[in-house]
Amino acid sequence: MISNSTDIIIKTVARIFIPFIQLYALYVIMHGHHSPGGGFQGGVILGASLILLLITHGHRQAMERISEKLISNFFSIGVLIYAGIGLLCIFFLGNFLDYGKLANLLQVDIANARSLSILGVEIGVGLTVMAVMVSIFYNISKPAQSRKNEENHDKSISER
Amino acid sequence: MVNFLYGIGFGLCFLVLFVLYRGIFGPGVFNRIAAISAIGTKTLVLLLIMGFIYNRAEMFIDISIVYALLNFVGTLAAAKYLEMEK
Amino acid sequence: MDISDLFSMLFLIGGLFFFITATAGLLRFPGFYTRLHATGKGDTLAVFLCLIGLAIHAGWTLSSLKIIFIAVFMFMAQPTATHAISRAAMKAGVKPWMKKDEPQ
Repeated sequence: MISNSTDIIIKTVARIFIPFIQLYALYVIMHGHHSPGGGFQGGVILGASLILLLITHGHRQAMERISEKLISNFFSIGVLIYAGIGLLCIFFLGNFLDYGKLANLLQVDIANARSLSILGVEIGVGLTVMAVMVSIFYNISKPAQSRKNEENHDKSISER
Repeated sequence: MVNFLYGIGFGLCFLVLFVLYRGIFGPGVFNRIAAISAIGTKTLVLLLIMGFIYNRAEMFIDISIVYALLNFVGTLAAAKYLEMEK
Repeated sequence: MDISDLFSMLFLIGGLFFFITATAGLLRFPGFYTRLHATGKGDTLAVFLCLIGLAIHAGWTLSSLKIIFIAVFMFMAQPTATHAISRAAMKAGVKPWMKKDEPQ
C-alpha cells in the first residue's frame, strides 16, 4: 500500500510541478506534426504526472481525486473519439478514416480538414494512453486486502 | 564555437565513465541510485550540446525537457520503493 | 568572436569545472551521505551554469526561453530528489560515517 508521504518538501514540490507537467503534455500532443511528439508520447507524459501524484500523496488521496471509475470512463472516451471520427467519415460517403470528406462539415478546404482530423485523432489516442497507464499502476499497487474484497464482491455478483 | 562544444561534450562523456564506476561497485543500492541520477543530469546537458552542434536546437530541447521530467519521477519512485523495504 | 560567444564559453567552462569536482566528490568521499552531499549540490549548480551558457549562445529566440525553463525546473527538482533519496536511506538504516570508524 503506497502510504502518504510524511514529508512536506516532497509534497509541496510535487504539487507545484504537476499542473506544469500536464500543460507540457498538452503541448506535446498538439505539436505532433511539427516537432517530436504526437499522441502516444503526450499520453505517456500525462500519465506520468498522475503517477507522480500517486507516489507522493499516497493511495487514498489519489483515489479520492481520480477514482477508478473515472479512469475507466476516460479510456472509453478516447476510443470513442477515434472510432467516432472514422464513422463520421463513413456517413459522409467515404471510406473509414477518409478525412477529406469532412471538408464541408468543417467549412475549410480539404488539406486543412485532414490536418484538423488528425489532431482530433491524436487527442483521442492521448486520452486512452493516459488512462491505461494510470489504471495499470493503480491495479499493481493495490493492497492485497482490498483486492480480496473485490474478488469476493465479484464472485457474489456472478453467483446470483 | 563548434570545436569548443565538441570539447565540452567529450569532457562530459569522460565524466560519465567515472560515475559509472560508482554505479557498478557502489556498496549497497542507494549509492547506485545516486549515480544513476547524476548520469541522467549529465545526459541532459549532452543532449542540448548535440542539438547545438547539429544546428537543430528546437527538436533537442523538447526531448531534453522530457528526459529531465522522467529522471525526476524515476528517482522519486525508486526512493519511495526502497523506503518500504524494512 | 563576439562578446556573447565569450560569455557563453565562460559559463560552460564554469559548469564543466563544477561537474568535475562533483564527480571527484562522488568517487572519493567516505560514507554514503557525504557522497550524496557532493553530487546533489555540485550537479545542480553545474547544470544551471551550463544551461545559462547555452541559452546565451542561442540568442533572443524562443529556444533560449525554453532552456531557461529547463534550468529553473532542474534547480527545483534536483534537490528534492536528493532529499528523497537521503530520507529513504535514513529510514532503511544506512549509518552515517564517523571519523572513529577509520582504522588508525
